[in-house]
Amino acid sequence: MKLEGPAARLTIFVGEDDTWQHKPLYHEIVHRAHAAGLAGASVLRGIEGYGASSRVHTTRILSLSEDLPIAVIIVDAEDRIRAFLPQLDELITEGLVIIDPVEVIRYTGRTAG
Amino acid sequence: MRPEQLPTDPDVDLHVARQRVELRRGTASLLATIAAGGVIGATARYTLSLAWPHQPGEFPWSTFVTNVSGCLLIGVLMVLITEAWTAHRLIRPFLGVGMLGGYTTFSTYAVDIQQAVAAGHPRVALLYLAGTLAAALAAVYTGIIIARLLTGLHPRRKEHR
Amino acid sequence: MTLVLVALGAAFGAPLRYMADRAVQARHDSVFPWGTFTVNVLGSFILGVLIGGAAAGAVPAPLVTLLGTGLCGALSTYSTFGYETIRLFEDGARFYSLLNAGISVAAGLGAAFVGVSVAQAVWP
Repeated sequence: MKLEGPAARLTIFVGEDDTWQHKPLYHEIVHRAHAAGLAGASVLRGIEGYGASSRVHTTRILSLSEDLPIAVIIVDAEDRIRAFLPQLDELITEGLVIIDPVEVIRYTGRTAG
Repeated sequence: MRPEQLPTDPDVDLHVARQRVELRRGTASLLATIAAGGVIGATARYTLSLAWPHQPGEFPWSTFVTNVSGCLLIGVLMVLITEAWTAHRLIRPFLGVGMLGGYTTFSTYAVDIQQAVAAGHPRVALLYLAGTLAAALAAVYTGIIIARLLTGLHPRRKEHR
Repeated sequence: MTLVLVALGAAFGAPLRYMADRAVQARHDSVFPWGTFTVNVLGSFILGVLIGGAAAGAVPAPLVTLLGTGLCGALSTYSTFGYETIRLFEDGARFYSLLNAGISVAAGLGAAFVGVSVAQAVWP
């Protein structure tokens, strides 16, 4: 797959403990992005944050180190990203989904099967 | 959501139906998990104290060993579940909050120091006070480093400046 | 039998610590772990009263086991105190880390002494 120039970055903020049918929600998002043939996805875990519920989660305090922030980042051509969004609707009941325009400088990987 | 619509108290807002659901689903199992861990930890602490009793004025070795070993384990545990792996949501409440929290104790530490002073052994009291604090903090740090090394993480996290 | 009393006390003490910690943490937004501080000072005070009362013959031994070893033992914690102190240090908040260690020990000890004194005053 070739990806360069203007593209879109989809970022999905969810909680570490969010699940979809007894599996981690972020895992399901990556699974669906992969199945949809999107260029790539990364899951990053945060150590502190809060969301729409306004409850702070942090690894600093033992009783608050639950449901830590997770960011799933997916980059691909904008039309492909937009086509993927309906798949997220049923997955994300609480969280934050954003899209921003980016410019791809380099997209290479090992040649794999 | 506009700022004035945010709940003033960051806890679960029982007036919001969806948060009530979360409370029912999460809190009962969470508290039961913590209680179960606490029972295991506390009975382990009590059993060790029976096997290794001390008189006021003697160094309280059993509580010392309990607190230092519990601190070593919390260091290992927290690296494993917050840095190395993503664990089930009840693992930390069970092992960290319940078991290790119930195993280690601050109240017996404080009162044993008072008892040693009252029994006329201020040196033992001071040695126990400083010894536990130093050993426990060193144990947490050692646990963190050991767990990072074993899981292939960098032993020292980059400092935030 | 005494083991059952310890278990029963801990079954309430550990969840109580979690709820108290959460309630305290929800009411401030500093880096300082006031929740753990609160349960440790509270646990030290209650155990002080119990031990002081037991010395005066006013508090029976099974009650000391249930509320002291079980409840206060599980309500207070050294592992969470240690972890949060080290995390402050590692995050670069070294001053707060040392301050947390210092005032937690000082306040916990103070609470234990006050607790024993209260018991001696109530049951002379």
